[in-house]
Amino acid sequence: MLHDVIGNKISLFSDGVQTVLRGQENRNRRVVLLKGNLVQNSRSEARGINARVNDHGTFGFASIAEYTPEAAEKVIRAATENAGALRRHSGRNVPLPPSKGTGTIPLNAAITDAPQKELIALCRTIDGYIETTYPDLTSRTVVYSEDSQDRIVCASDAFCGHLVTPRCYVYVMMSAETKDGVPVELFKAFGGFGSFYDHFQEPEKLYPGIDLLHKQLMDKKEGVYAEAGYRTVVLGGLMGGMLAHEAVGHTVEADLVRGGSVAGPNLHRRVGSELVNMVDFAHSYAGGAAPLPVFLDDEGTKAEDAVLISGGILTGYMNDRESAEEYGMTPAGNARGWTFSDEPIIRMRNTCILPGKNTVEELIASVDDGYYLINSGNGEADLTGEFMFGVTCGYEIKNGKLGRALLDTTVTGVAFEMLKTVDMVSDTVEWSSSGFCGKKQPMAVGMGGPHMRCKIMIGGR
Amino acid sequence: MTLKATAEMMDRILREETPGKYSYTVSESEKQELNIENGEFKLLRTVFGSGASARVFLGTKTGSASGNDITEEGLRKLVGEATAAAESAGEDPCHDIAPNQGKDVFIQGVTEPDMDRFIERIREFLDTAAKEYPKVRIMYAMGSFDRWNRITRNTNGTEFEFHGGRYSFSVEICASDGEKTTGLDYTGVITAKLDTPFMETGDLRRHLEDITNSIDAKPIEGKFEGTVILTPGSAANFIEMLVNNYISDGVIINGTSQWLDKVGEQVAGEQLTVSLNPYDERIVIGERATGSGFRTEDVTLIDKGVLKTHRLSLYGSNKTGRPVVKNTGFDLVVGNGEKTLAELIASVDRGLILGGFSGGQPGANGEFSGVAKNSFLIEKGKIAGAVTETMVNGNLGEAFRRIRGISREVLCDGGSVVPWIAVDGIVISGK
Repeated sequence: MLHDVIGNKISLFSDGVQTVLRGQENRNRRVVLLKGNLVQNSRSEARGINARVNDHGTFGFASIAEYTPEAAEKVIRAATENAGALRRHSGRNVPLPPSKGTGTIPLNAAITDAPQKELIALCRTIDGYIETTYPDLTSRTVVYSEDSQDRIVCASDAFCGHLVTPRCYVYVMMSAETKDGVPVELFKAFGGFGSFYDHFQEPEKLYPGIDLLHKQLMDKKEGVYAEAGYRTVVLGGLMGGMLAHEAVGHTVEADLVRGGSVAGPNLHRRVGSELVNMVDFAHSYAGGAAPLPVFLDDEGTKAEDAVLISGGILTGYMNDRESAEEYGMTPAGNARGWTFSDEPIIRMRNTCILPGKNTVEELIASVDDGYYLINSGNGEADLTGEFMFGVTCGYEIKNGKLGRALLDTTVTGVAFEMLKTVDMVSDTVEWSSSGFCGKKQPMAVGMGGPHMRCKIMIGGR
Repeated sequence: MTLKATAEMMDRILREETPGKYSYTVSESEKQELNIENGEFKLLRTVFGSGASARVFLGTKTGSASGNDITEEGLRKLVGEATAAAESAGEDPCHDIAPNQGKDVFIQGVTEPDMDRFIERIREFLDTAAKEYPKVRIMYAMGSFDRWNRITRNTNGTEFEFHGGRYSFSVEICASDGEKTTGLDYTGVITAKLDTPFMETGDLRRHLEDITNSIDAKPIEGKFEGTVILTPGSAANFIEMLVNNYISDGVIINGTSQWLDKVGEQVAGEQLTVSLNPYDERIVIGERATGSGFRTEDVTLIDKGVLKTHRLSLYGSNKTGRPVVKNTGFDLVVGNGEKTLAELIASVDRGLILGGFSGGQPGANGEFSGVAKNSFLIEKGKIAGAVTETMVNGNLGEAFRRIRGISREVLCDGGSVVPWIAVDGIVISGK
């Protein structure tokens, strides 16, 4: 883990501007077994220092791929010069946001590193289990993927701290063929926050999840195309999380609000039914840790929860320090950069639609003719809240019971219209944290949701 | 320390630490990036980068590592990690590096930027957009000059040096009129010259015009099977999906490709020719060497609808016994057709001009389903207005077999050369 070479450089910060100095290391470990063939076996580490200077709304940023006291001095000078140079071209003159307090945030966890041979051995064990247990597959892929952020943040008029975010996952992908020879696929991610030894010391603990994935794939082999149209569906928790992140979360990022997102004119208005509540959690959820805890952002803001929708009413945005002033809100620690060379921009942390009172079984039993949509392979949304999610795993619901599996399909809608149709919400939440959000830079994010009964457009053939 | 000295140090460490074959790359780079938000210059970003990567072979076992610490200590650690990864790998004789390709120095693009001129061109674009397209909001724009030096070598004797630089400019736009707002649209260009206003390069002007004309977008009623005219941006996206789904390493190695045994056969309409041509003069910075160390060659994947080759890496080639393709970039050049875009539109009874596709990578069966973005309805040969909440469904392979026509006009954005492509048989559905 990083040792601090930047903490004593605060004295070099210029007066009359806001400066944040950040030292950071990102690590990646990756192993890919394709049908038992080791096609990727790699490790990487990127370390460096950056500085960002806010000179009354004009920002200078500089980074260097070195982690030394001299590098810190160089980026402070370069970022300060960049802010000054740009200010001569820019008409911006925005008062500096006020300080919300100073102090030090304690180290939250440790990063432990497993040797590559253990990662490969894990993948071979899992691959061997799948090959032996399920000879009916046409292909299988097992991936071990680990990334971590190790950050030291020093801010001129905000909080400082040393924080880490390690996460690691095993992805299992299976392929089979329908009776007509058409390939069908499913995948599942295992793992979460922490290092290899936190999740994968006992590979057999993954087998029940792999068995379920195989069953769902065999169901999908016999699957049918969904009937296209505006249908009543039960969205599974992972789909709910995707909705929270893609269709709602991005529209309430303040930089996109400023750019004209649908959330701008809808602040304090109804955007969902009374059952819809949504929060971007910082580091804790329901008395425990959130999937990817964030305690301090890269502007030095101490992280707190950002309440976005309450009882169906849009109540707030996710902000950086400047946008919070613009919208009369409190910054909650959403300004984050992915690597040492990335400037902080407004990002989600652990964005979640909150649970309700019904059981999942009650939701399914309540649908006469519709679909149960369990998992999504991808999703996108627009400024208008118009969204598209690919559905990779789902079932028909007929007379309150699950029917045939679905082949891949797509659901679409407009978030603030679709959320008004939510009339039942389950009492449990499912989280995912293995993906990356893309917005100029990648970012590790958590997303969660309950099961929800709602109406949605579903594509067929 | 110079980059060549760093390379020599890497070579020495590798010779000391590993007995077998290896390849490595060392690099340094610099980025100057101007960020614009809502039409205002907001952030100036400078990134000084360095990097190193090594791939080590122990017999037929291989491992790789990369990092950005190019001190001797950092390089020794990196080589140690690559060696440890190789020690842990299984035997697989299909892993290899390219045979000796000789020595060469590749200089591409701009090495000394004119940043004042670059900033002038960006400001000129913003002023032109504000004047000529007042309903368009430039939510975010980025102008970046990137410069790099890279040395790559391997134990078979290949030694390449790369020196280059390029300007890139991209925008994220929407349009509004009162409370009516469009969705987002994106476009950009790569260039080595600043002799043309950005508004007249790539597809920038058309995107601003189209987003202006999208303010009153309406949903389509019902569902029909029609013709979709893929804009160059959409066409490039669909062709990339086609390559990934039917002819790339993964699907050929695992045998799930539906074009597994189709080389030499007609797989698409005979109007379609798809090449990866990094030496085309319209490509600003084309690939010059592949990941496994071959000199990059121009390659035609589909010629008049006939599949000429799968797109296999050296590993994929060794694994499957099929030919290697010495091209790992995506410098896409699609052959143009004979009809003008206007003639293509006039030939369509009912369909869409698909400006963007919001959907995921199709499954192995090629089925795709997604939302039409920045798209326009065509009725009886005329553009009938922008659409919203409209889905398109189809099958990738079938779509490219049913090509109605390809435009004479092509779009060159510095990274690709692509025409408009009209395909039949796509299911278009609204509310």
